Amino acid sequence: MQAEIQINNSTTPAARYLTWAPSPCRVRITNPAGSPAVQLRVRLGTRTNTGGGSVAFAAQAGGPYASTLTVTVPVNGQSVSFFVRGVFGKPSSGDRDVIIEARARSAPSSGNWRLLGTLPVMVRIRKNANNLTSGERTRLVAAFAQLNDQGLGRFADFREMHVNQSSPEAHGRPAFLPWHRAYLLDLERELQAVDPSVALPYWRFDQPAPSLFTPDYLGVSDALGNVQLSATNPLQFWRTDNVPGIVRRPFFDPGQAPAGLRTEAQTLALGAQYTGFRTLEGNPHGSAHTSFGGFISSIGTAARDPLFFLLHCNVDRLWAKWQLQNNRFDSGVAASYDTNNPGNKTGHNLVDTMWPWNGITTGDRPPFAPGGALASSACVNAPGPQPRVQDCFDYRGSVAAVAQMGFDYDDVG
Amino acid sequence: MAKKRKKATRASRKTGGRKSVPVGRARAQRVLEVPLAAPDLLPALDILRDPSQSVDARLEALQTIQAASFALLDFDSIRPDYIAALRQAAEDQEPELRQRALGILAREHDGFAQEALLEGLRDPAKALVRPDKALQLLSYDPHAGVYPIARDIIHTSEDESTRREALRVLAGDPASAPVIEDVLTDKSEPSAIRRMSASALHALNPDKLQRWASSAVLDTDEDADLVATGLTALTQFGDAKAIADNKQLRKRMSQLQQQGPAKIKQLARRFVKKYEL
Ligand SMILES: [Cu+2]
Repeated sequence: MQAEIQINNSTTPAARYLTWAPSPCRVRITNPAGSPAVQLRVRLGTRTNTGGGSVAFAAQAGGPYASTLTVTVPVNGQSVSFFVRGVFGKPSSGDRDVIIEARARSAPSSGNWRLLGTLPVMVRIRKNANNLTSGERTRLVAAFAQLNDQGLGRFADFREMHVNQSSPEAHGRPAFLPWHRAYLLDLERELQAVDPSVALPYWRFDQPAPSLFTPDYLGVSDALGNVQLSATNPLQFWRTDNVPGIVRRPFFDPGQAPAGLRTEAQTLALGAQYTGFRTLEGNPHGSAHTSFGGFISSIGTAARDPLFFLLHCNVDRLWAKWQLQNNRFDSGVAASYDTNNPGNKTGHNLVDTMWPWNGITTGDRPPFAPGGALASSACVNAPGPQPRVQDCFDYRGSVAAVAQMGFDYDDVG
Repeated sequence: MAKKRKKATRASRKTGGRKSVPVGRARAQRVLEVPLAAPDLLPALDILRDPSQSVDARLEALQTIQAASFALLDFDSIRPDYIAALRQAAEDQEPELRQRALGILAREHDGFAQEALLEGLRDPAKALVRPDKALQLLSYDPHAGVYPIARDIIHTSEDESTRREALRVLAGDPASAPVIEDVLTDKSEPSAIRRMSASALHALNPDKLQRWASSAVLDTDEDADLVATGLTALTQFGDAKAIADNKQLRKRMSQLQQQGPAKIKQLARRFVKKYEL
C-alpha cells in the first residue's frame, strides 16, 4: 500500500512550505495492493529532524489542530482533504526538516501502523535576523549574492524599483506599507527561487543586533563606511550601479541599537487608526534609514544595500503586529487604511493596482516599470501578479483564506 | 571659496576627519521627532545652516530632515533650500558635517558636490574630505572625469584605503580591466587591495575572474584570503561544465577538504556539494 500526500494541494516540491496559516492538503491511496478493505483509516503525523519545525493537522481549516489526524481514505485513489499549519513558536531552521507521514494499521486491529508515504516540508517563517543559525545566514547571503549576480541578475530590477523617480508610488502616502509589503514579497519569492529554504529576516532596529553586523553576515563597516566582508562571504561580489561593494556607515555603536528611534511598543502605541499608525513612516522608518550614512540613508540608493530589505521587513512586521493587535486585516474596515486621504494619488487607493507590477508607465506613474509582474508562489495565489493596494492586508488569510500571501513572522502569532 | 575650503581642510587634519563618530549616544533615550509636514522642517533647516549651533545639534537637524525625506509628501517644497543648505554645509569647518552633506549630495548626483570632490583630488589643498572618501563619494555616479584620476592614484598613492577606493571606482570602467587584473595578480599587493580587485574584475570580466579563481585555488603559495575569495567566486558563480571538466581543480578540491584552515575546508565542502563532484 502506498499513499501520496499533497501540500497546498500541489505535487510540486516548491509548494511544500508552510506558515502559521492553514495550508490545504490532500492524501490519496496510490497503490491499494494489500489493503484489507475499500477504505482505510490513515493516520497523519510527523517525524522531525533535530532543530526542525513543528506542524499540526486538522480536518477543517478552522481546526481543532493536533499533532496527528486520522482520516478515512478510500482505496480507489480518491483524495481526502485536510489542513496543516506550522505550530506557532516552532518554525523550521532548515529545508524539509519536518517529515509528514501517512500510516495505516497493517491489519484491522493491529497496533502496528505501517508507513504508506512520507513528505518532507518546511515551516518557512521570517525571523529576527540577529537570531539566525549560521546555516540560515549562509543560505541567505548566498541567495542574495546569486540574485545580484554581478549587478546583472534579477536584483537589478528591485534596485530600480526603489529610486527617486518612483518614490511617490511608495512613500509619503498611505500605500507606503502595502507597496513595501508587495515589494518585499516579490524579492523574497525571487530569493526562494534561488533557494526555497530562505525567508527574508527582519532587522529589529530598536534592539542591538551584534550578530547581524559581522563579516560572515551583512558585514562590518570600516571607518570610511565600506562594508567589510569575510573572504568566504559571497556578498563580497555584490555590485550595484556598476560599482562593487556596500557603503554603510553607522552613526551608532553596532553592538547597540540606533538612538532616537521609536521602540516597537511606542510604534504600536501610535493608535488603532491607520492614519495615526502610518506616521511610523517618519520615525522609526525614516530614522532607521538615517541612523547610517551611505546607501541606505537616501531613498534613491537605499535599495543598493541588502540591509535595506531587512529594515523594511521589520517595518512590515510592525504593521503585521499592529494589524493583529487591532484586528486590521480587513481593508474594508475604515480604520485599517487611510481611504479618504485627499493626497491619495493613483496607486494609493484601495482599488488601485500598484506600480511597477501593473506595468503602467503613463499618467502620473513613472515612465518605466522594472521587473514585470510580481513573482508567483507555488504555495498560495495571493496577492496575484498585479496586486492592488487592498490585496496586501489579509496576508494570513484571516478574513478570506484565498488572501494568504505565504509569509509569516516568528513573533506574530 | 578656495580660502574657505583651505580652512576646512586644516580643520579636518586637526580632528582626523576620518574617524567614525557614533553620535547621539547621550540622546539614546530620547525619541527624535520627525515632522509630518515640510514647513515643520524649517527650524531644523535653520539649525543646520547656523554655524553658531553645536555640531551635534546641526548633525541631529540634518538627520531629522533626511529622515523626513523618506516620509513627507511635500518634501519637494523645501528641497531647493535643503540642497542649498547642504552645499553650504559641504564647506563647513566641521569635518563630520562636510562629509555627511557631501554624501547626501553625491547620492543625488549633485554637480556642485562632484566638482568639489574632483577638485580636491586634483589639488589636495582644496580637499573637503580625504581622498579615499572623495573617491567613495564619486563612485555614486562615476563618470569619465574621475577615471584618469583613479588610475593615476593606483600607481602613485601609497595609501591603501585610497587605492582601494580608486579600484572600486574603476570597476565601472571597462578600459581599466587590465590595470585591475595587474593588481589582482600581483602578490606583493596587500590582500585587501587584491580582494577589491577580484570584486572589480568579477564585474568587468567574470570569465577572467573565474580563470584567476581556478589558478588561485591551485596555487599552493597563494594567500589564504585570496584562495577563499577565489573559492567563493567559483562556488557562487562558476560554470558547472567547465568545473566538471577541470580535473586538476577537482583533485585540488578533494585535497582542500581534508587539509588546510577550517574556513577553506568548509568552502571546499560547499563547492563539492554544489557541483556534486
Ligand atoms: Cu524605507
